[in-house]
Amino acid sequence: MTPDTAPQKEEPVEPNRKDIDPQDEQAAVDPALFEEKPIAPPFERTVLTTPLHLVTSLESRTNRWTDWNGYTVPEVLTGLGDEYRALRGAAALMDVSPLVKYRIAGRDAFAFLQRLVTRDIENLGVHRAVHVILCESRGLVLGDGLLFRLADDDYRLVTEETHLAWLMDSSEGFRVRIEDVSATLGTLSLQGPLSAFVLMQAGVGDVASLAPFAARWVTIAGMPVYLSRTGASGDLRYELWSDAEDAPHVWRWLVECGGPLGLRAAGFALRELARLEAGLPRAGQDYLSAFAAIDAREALPPAAIWASPAIDLDKGLFNGRAALRRGSDEPPARRVVSLAIEGLEPLRFSTLSLEGRVVGAATSTGFSPALGANIALAVIDAEAAAAGALLAAAERRDGLSVRETLASVRVLAKPARAHPRRLAVPAPLRP
Amino acid sequence: MVTGGTKYDAIVIGAGHNGLVAAARLARTHGRVLVLEAGDRLGGAAATSEIVPDYRAPAIAHLLEGFPRRIERELKLARYGLRYAARDVPTVALDRDGDHIALPRNRREYAAFSKRLPKDAEAYRERVALLRAQAELVAPLLGQVPPRRDDPDALKRFLRRAVLRAEWQGRSALGKLMHTLPESIGDRLDAEFESPLLKGVLAFDATLGGGEGPYAPGTSFRAVWREAIRMQGQGVRQPVGGMGALADALAAAVEAQHGEIRLGARAVRILVENDAVAGVELSDGAVLHAPLVVSALNPRVTMLGLLGAARLETEAALELRFAAPAGSTAKINLALESTPVFSGLAPELHGARLVIAPSLHELDEAAAECRDGGFASEPVMEILVPSLADASLAPEGHHILSIIVHNVPFHVEGGWEAKRETFVQKVVRTVDAYAPGTADAMIAGEILTPPDIERKYGLAGGDWHQGDLRLDRLFGFRPSPAFGRYEAPVPGLYLCGAGSHPGGGVTGLPGWLAVEAIGAAKGGER
Repeated sequence: MTPDTAPQKEEPVEPNRKDIDPQDEQAAVDPALFEEKPIAPPFERTVLTTPLHLVTSLESRTNRWTDWNGYTVPEVLTGLGDEYRALRGAAALMDVSPLVKYRIAGRDAFAFLQRLVTRDIENLGVHRAVHVILCESRGLVLGDGLLFRLADDDYRLVTEETHLAWLMDSSEGFRVRIEDVSATLGTLSLQGPLSAFVLMQAGVGDVASLAPFAARWVTIAGMPVYLSRTGASGDLRYELWSDAEDAPHVWRWLVECGGPLGLRAAGFALRELARLEAGLPRAGQDYLSAFAAIDAREALPPAAIWASPAIDLDKGLFNGRAALRRGSDEPPARRVVSLAIEGLEPLRFSTLSLEGRVVGAATSTGFSPALGANIALAVIDAEAAAAGALLAAAERRDGLSVRETLASVRVLAKPARAHPRRLAVPAPLRP
Repeated sequence: MVTGGTKYDAIVIGAGHNGLVAAARLARTHGRVLVLEAGDRLGGAAATSEIVPDYRAPAIAHLLEGFPRRIERELKLARYGLRYAARDVPTVALDRDGDHIALPRNRREYAAFSKRLPKDAEAYRERVALLRAQAELVAPLLGQVPPRRDDPDALKRFLRRAVLRAEWQGRSALGKLMHTLPESIGDRLDAEFESPLLKGVLAFDATLGGGEGPYAPGTSFRAVWREAIRMQGQGVRQPVGGMGALADALAAAVEAQHGEIRLGARAVRILVENDAVAGVELSDGAVLHAPLVVSALNPRVTMLGLLGAARLETEAALELRFAAPAGSTAKINLALESTPVFSGLAPELHGARLVIAPSLHELDEAAAECRDGGFASEPVMEILVPSLADASLAPEGHHILSIIVHNVPFHVEGGWEAKRETFVQKVVRTVDAYAPGTADAMIAGEILTPPDIERKYGLAGGDWHQGDLRLDRLFGFRPSPAFGRYEAPVPGLYLCGAGSHPGGGVTGLPGWLAVEAIGAAKGGER
């Protein structure tokens, strides 16, 4: 509005004048009441932070941040080696709030989920969790996640990527309510041999009795927290789900109680390393959602991604059943596998070849101190995985110079880290 | 689990002509067949209804255009009372000034035609020849079950005849068809003809039943499609006793094979047990058991309503969710106490299909009005006086006017309650302009707006075709890729209505081919 088109300034009206009759329609009103106030749409904010952003930034000694699902999270808080030692020797605490969380509730929630996921969730009890796989009609994977049963008709689906459109599309014909509750929950991941002990120190009673993939409501520092024995790691691990406002206090209390025991706060890099050592593929990184795969060969069936995916062809109708039934006898052409390259220094590599022919690519790489080797998750041709004698084009950096070498690659039969403690009942309080 | 109820070998939902054809064919091979009809009469949109006592009019459809001879013979419909009052019914484009154009059917008529339109006659001959040639490529595809999606060889077999024929026709035949596919009928006719009236009638035939105007892409192919549909049949025919006579003959064929037909039985649920169809539940709670359920209802109603989206995979249900049909055709039946006389029309042509579509411009305007929820000031329509050929329809000297009005919206601005009278008056005034005295001779009338058609005949959206005949919804893509071969992903459930290949019109083909697909599936299991 240019100055000359702007309306003439009116005499200011005094508010709360006694002589104004509220019934009088001609009475002067405060124009400020009717001024349009611009409301910033949520998508105008491009830097998304988790409920734990303030506390994690206080812990940060490196100012190294990264982007996870659109959220700004610490990459490394103190040092990856330091954090790794805490993870393997004591406990590490991580902010995993960027995980996508859906609440699925209603009379048909069970039937809806039975149709949505490949595994039979008939026997999923209240306060239990299972790993679930979502497929589309061609039997190709859309994503995977963890499904919690919070109450009889109340479930929580935790995934790496968003699936809201698919969930809504699938809900036709079911009396079910689907809600993205990601922003209302703060999620902490506590991993490491002392994690149960840390929880005990933090005031959680009878931690040891909590079975793997079980959950329970507990009180930590006076705040209600949903504690589950889950997480992307090959060791003892817990996840703590609380209100977004409570999460920073839970974090502080755990750091305070666990600090003397060797607990360290850690960033996203450590979570990736722990996941890589446990051989757990991540959606969007190690495999693509079937809807996101532009090249049809990049969309994979469950059997290509997991060694023994949970599929129950006899449980009743679910998305992808017909296709999975047809393809159940033939092995997949491409597979996600764990690899290792011997050597004591970190390497950069991606292309994998067999007898001069490119057979696949590494999708996540990292240096595993547990194995003393470079490890990776890679998508490769299935017959090449069986053949062995794979070579990786690796880059060795020395100062500013780069040397390219071919390193020999070993396909790992079992993950680099799968400690029996992970599934032990009762959970060990001492390593 | 059998908890009461009766057991059948097959249940057909919907006693429209497609449902009855399917039932009659099923009854010969599949044992005890039951037909469920929610309404109180047979035939669906191909029925005869009484306007007032003694005046019987075709309820919606009034002519048989593509009813195949093989269905008629194999079901022995002639034995069950199907007779024809008129064969090879001609088409006449009505002119405002009485200078009508009769589309020629033979050499003699062509001579008259070329006298009337000396400039367009040659072009018309060429157009008919090209249309026939192209329709011949498509026609064989209409008479067979579409190929499986996942079997490339089946697609080759499906197209083989069309391709061989195209090779035989010459190199350019397929190329011309390719050119026709995306083209609009309006552009094509503008390039070929001069006479607005001739263009009007040709475009009317190509767009009737769809919501698009003559300049919409893909409408040129609809003319080919319609010609191919006509090739399935034996010329345009009018059954004695109205279209209901066809339904009665089909019902007699069903009953002769010990099939059972129940009127007033509304199916509300298709039951599934152990991943296969188990039967049908009726609105009164009765449960009927059958391992095979064939639905002639709209695919969307069948799959999302009766079966339930929960019984389908997400993507299959999604395909149907967005294919909501919306009809654009209304039906008006008038009872007259005298013989209608169209000014300037030869007496022998009064029994013809009389098309009022003065020009492309009128059609285009009517389509645009329809899209905006209104109707044209001078509606475009097709008129038949069935009582001229079939005296049994009305008392002596009295007649029936059966009018199909094109481009009438389902949702009219202001609501149908308010606009119904205006609409009828507009139609009657238009007819009166061509046949003076009609308005005065009118003693009764019946109007079916698209919502009426939906309510009375159960055609969702009032759409005769149960889904537009669009290029992306034909063959194996009709009604959608997951249901393109009549079968649903649930074993034992099939579609057999106009929503399936080859689509709307009184052809009986969807019902006929559905049973073929059922037989093929059974054979495959063995």
